Amino acid sequence: MKLIYEKSKKGRHGFSLPEDQFKEINLKDCIPQYAKEEKEKELPEVSEVEVIRHFTKLSKLNYGVDDGLYPLGSCTMKYNPKVNEKLATIDSFVYAHPFADEKYIQGSLQIMYELGELLSKITAMDKFSLMPAAGAHGELTGVLMIRKYFEDRGEKRHKMLIPDSAHGTNPASSAMAGFKVVEVKSNERGGVDINELERLMDEDTAGLMLTNPNTVGLFDENILKIAKIVHSKGGLLYYDGANLNALLGIVRPGDIGFDVLHLNLHKTFSTPHGGGGPGAGVVGAKSHLVEFLPSPIVCTDDGKYFFEYPKKTIGRVRAFYANFPVLVKAYAWILSVGGEGLREVSEASIINANYILDKLKKYYRPAYDRICMHECVLTGREYKEYGVKTLDIAKRLMDYGFHPPTIYFPHFEPYAEETIMVEPTESESKETLDEFINAMIKIAKEAKTKPELLKGAPHNTPVGRLDEVKAVREPKLHA
Amino acid sequence: MRYIPNTKADKEEMLKEIGVSSFNDLLKDIPEEVMLKKTLDIPTLSEEELTEKIFKISKKNLGFRFFKPLIGAGAYRHFVPEAVKAVISREEFYTSYTPYQPEISQGNLQSMFEYQTHLSRLTGMDVIVPSIYDGASATAEATLMAIRLTHKNKVIISPLLHPHYAETVRTYTAPHQTEIHIAEYKNGLSDLKSIESAIDENTAAVIVQSPNFFGAIEDIESITRIAHKKGTLIIQVIAESLSLGLLKSPAEMDVDIIAGEAQSFGMDLNLGGPYNGYLGSKMKYIRQIPGRIAGETTDKNGRRGYVMTFRAREQDIRREKATSNICSNHALNIVAGNVYLSLLGKNGIKKIAELNIKAAHYLRTKLIETGKFSGFKYPFFNEFVLEVKDKEKIKDQLINNGFIPPFDLGIYYPELEGHMLFAVTEILTKKELDFVVNLLER
Amino acid sequence: MGYKVIEGLYYTKNDEWIKVEGDIGTVGITDYAQDKLGDIVYLEEIEKGKKIKAGETLTTIESVKAASDIYAPISGEVIEVNSEVIKEPSIINKDPYGKGWIAKIKIENPEELKELMKAEEYSNYRKE
Repeated sequence: MKLIYEKSKKGRHGFSLPEDQFKEINLKDCIPQYAKEEKEKELPEVSEVEVIRHFTKLSKLNYGVDDGLYPLGSCTMKYNPKVNEKLATIDSFVYAHPFADEKYIQGSLQIMYELGELLSKITAMDKFSLMPAAGAHGELTGVLMIRKYFEDRGEKRHKMLIPDSAHGTNPASSAMAGFKVVEVKSNERGGVDINELERLMDEDTAGLMLTNPNTVGLFDENILKIAKIVHSKGGLLYYDGANLNALLGIVRPGDIGFDVLHLNLHKTFSTPHGGGGPGAGVVGAKSHLVEFLPSPIVCTDDGKYFFEYPKKTIGRVRAFYANFPVLVKAYAWILSVGGEGLREVSEASIINANYILDKLKKYYRPAYDRICMHECVLTGREYKEYGVKTLDIAKRLMDYGFHPPTIYFPHFEPYAEETIMVEPTESESKETLDEFINAMIKIAKEAKTKPELLKGAPHNTPVGRLDEVKAVREPKLHA
Repeated sequence: MRYIPNTKADKEEMLKEIGVSSFNDLLKDIPEEVMLKKTLDIPTLSEEELTEKIFKISKKNLGFRFFKPLIGAGAYRHFVPEAVKAVISREEFYTSYTPYQPEISQGNLQSMFEYQTHLSRLTGMDVIVPSIYDGASATAEATLMAIRLTHKNKVIISPLLHPHYAETVRTYTAPHQTEIHIAEYKNGLSDLKSIESAIDENTAAVIVQSPNFFGAIEDIESITRIAHKKGTLIIQVIAESLSLGLLKSPAEMDVDIIAGEAQSFGMDLNLGGPYNGYLGSKMKYIRQIPGRIAGETTDKNGRRGYVMTFRAREQDIRREKATSNICSNHALNIVAGNVYLSLLGKNGIKKIAELNIKAAHYLRTKLIETGKFSGFKYPFFNEFVLEVKDKEKIKDQLINNGFIPPFDLGIYYPELEGHMLFAVTEILTKKELDFVVNLLER
Repeated sequence: MGYKVIEGLYYTKNDEWIKVEGDIGTVGITDYAQDKLGDIVYLEEIEKGKKIKAGETLTTIESVKAASDIYAPISGEVIEVNSEVIKEPSIINKDPYGKGWIAKIKIENPEELKELMKAEEYSNYRKE
């Protein structure tokens, strides 16, 4: 498809500009010699009609949740309710300036405060900061709080434990917060290896970052032991909330020993993923960590809402308070679903994942053959002998009209290799799952009988498999 | 519930297929003693009840739609065309995710590439990272990048870097014991001498915002010369990116790294987010830049297509050795920015920047003429600082007449108590500006 | 799938090889390593004259889907760097033990070689 630049024609434009009423101001007097631009900034010249058609055409090359099943593991690609979009774009929210006086943004503050309270209820934490822009941003915030907590106590702890099954963001966030990352191996049941944890957890270690259910879709059955080991050495337990969709109304991170956590509002709480963002990575803390939350946080007194600056705050992690519209959407979702509905969400997502696991485990040997939580991790190991890679299986799935699951993650030997991580979420019906399962079974058969079909896949997409090697070797990063 | 298709009967059938007798059999790994014993105490609202509730809450805000800001300070109310909103309301853009599967994500990927092109043409930088959360976090990331590139651990920051950006840099660098030296300012501009004298062998970068927090257009070229002479990198921060339509591009001034905020490119104020940060650098620094980048390539039939490229920098591959932990960013605002800049085009971007600079100069001139205001005199884009006699009175006058008052500089610059930072964009008409002058003259 | 292992070289657990001639060791990565990485797109420049300890990072290598550090199998001084593979790192995929060599190190302490694996041992180590 053509680039917008290739549609450019001299003299066209697509913008409605007000008339220049300031003829008496001479532009030359406004710009100092050292900042005068001599060159033209060659943006495309296109009309509004052409722009709209261009982007409409582009949009059709994408696949979204509204198009169908989007089973990316650990991404929780659930339905994004339409009413939430509307509520997030109410004028007096949209046009609110971040430096407007608190008395003029009482409505926005109320939403922020109440959302924090709802999340506290759901997770059993004491206070939330809504500031972080994304999951990884929340992680960084959380581990910086852990760092500050120990500094405040005069303890020097420079290591952070992270399971081999963790998302790459966990070690990356810890490194950004100045910690040395120490990997903890998974055991043969898919959980944290307790003996290994006991050996590694010492007084130089700040704590453990844990995703639970973890990335192989299993709730760590030793969670209470894990918490005890970490806490007995004075460490803190960080909860990566990427997989909270499994636990709503069933068990709360704050009740099983977690001290600080982040939640991805764009996963569990239904806000759209926007092609990679914006979401929100809100951070919840137990009382002993509240004073380290990034500032400001929203508090209330006597019906008035206001910002407060926690005493020992880690500081700001961004310019302003939050991704506000995302918060409105999450707030709206929680209230639409309600207490009973929250549990129903997790129930449906767990049943859906186990249904897929049960139907597909004969064809794609699971990393761990056990009942799973909200996602299941299959593998494409046995098709290697036919020359078929897991990547080929994923690509072929597009020909059947589905977005492929997450592949090659998690990756840790010897259990999780050639992984296919499927998270159906609660949004999918049994019929959709059956269609997906049938497609996967067909592909399994094709892998044995017509491997070339998979290796050349996808066949029905706007472009075929793209040469990623060329993209790095002969970089072209702009037109 | 309307968001869950499967009925009780469906679930029972599925449980049977799975081979368990009840849902609770699927929860055996969860210790019994920590399971929630009762339903979470959260009400369930119908769509209509919910809508009414949130609309009611929204009424507690000022009716911002009809209040025109004379405040910017890192968040600017510009006109956002409906076309931008229409495009980002398409489900293919807003309900998709990171383009991990390029074959069914060409819409997002090509849009990233086009936007990278727009920004590359506006800034002259070879490499553009089209989305970091916001300008502040982009500045913090640029700082860490400079530290990695130089293996040095001190940065010199202009005192006229947005205070929230500076604080974010502090937050991000705190664990690395980075020495942060705040330079001085003079007449609303960074003091070049104070920057020069602060540079030593351990200095990784000089960080200067232009237009700076006071709206002043800095002499970046001279600062770059000073930095480079002393073997230090220069990071230019751009909080008001519309200025790029008119001002000399960072690359022409030999800037090494840029960190910007693209909110002015089609994003509403939204109480501070989501906006969209970006980074740019010279090509030779690409392996240390954080964040997703799109690149052009071909498929097996030679068809042109786009992929996420230079991926080995990222956390999912490099883990603790990644250039950043960033994963989700503000991708939808790449689309917004792309539509906005495509609509404006070559002439539009210049014209709108001109309108901003002219309107702001008009207001400053008129306010000075009243004799009630005095202030720094420096070259500026669409913001300027004036000393006012009674700031509380001015705040009241303005809010009572439909304007959001300027930013009170005393909050961050105690020595400038009584000074206000005015912002003027193209959304203010001459009539409105004349009204403001009349009002404040009284 | 058998990976090529060459007799007479020493091997590390991180899949580097070293060929010793006098007090000079030539270093590269094994066939197994290049296969696991896939299409190699980048090899970070190495500073000539750099003094390095066994086990320290010599350089970083990147494919499209992976990146890893290459560690020095032995302590010493980097006396030569293969500029051809820096320019065209895909050579390592084609000829990991020959034209794809990465650097030459002047060996400080030959005793360290005893810590490394011989061909047969490495072969068994990477047998799938």
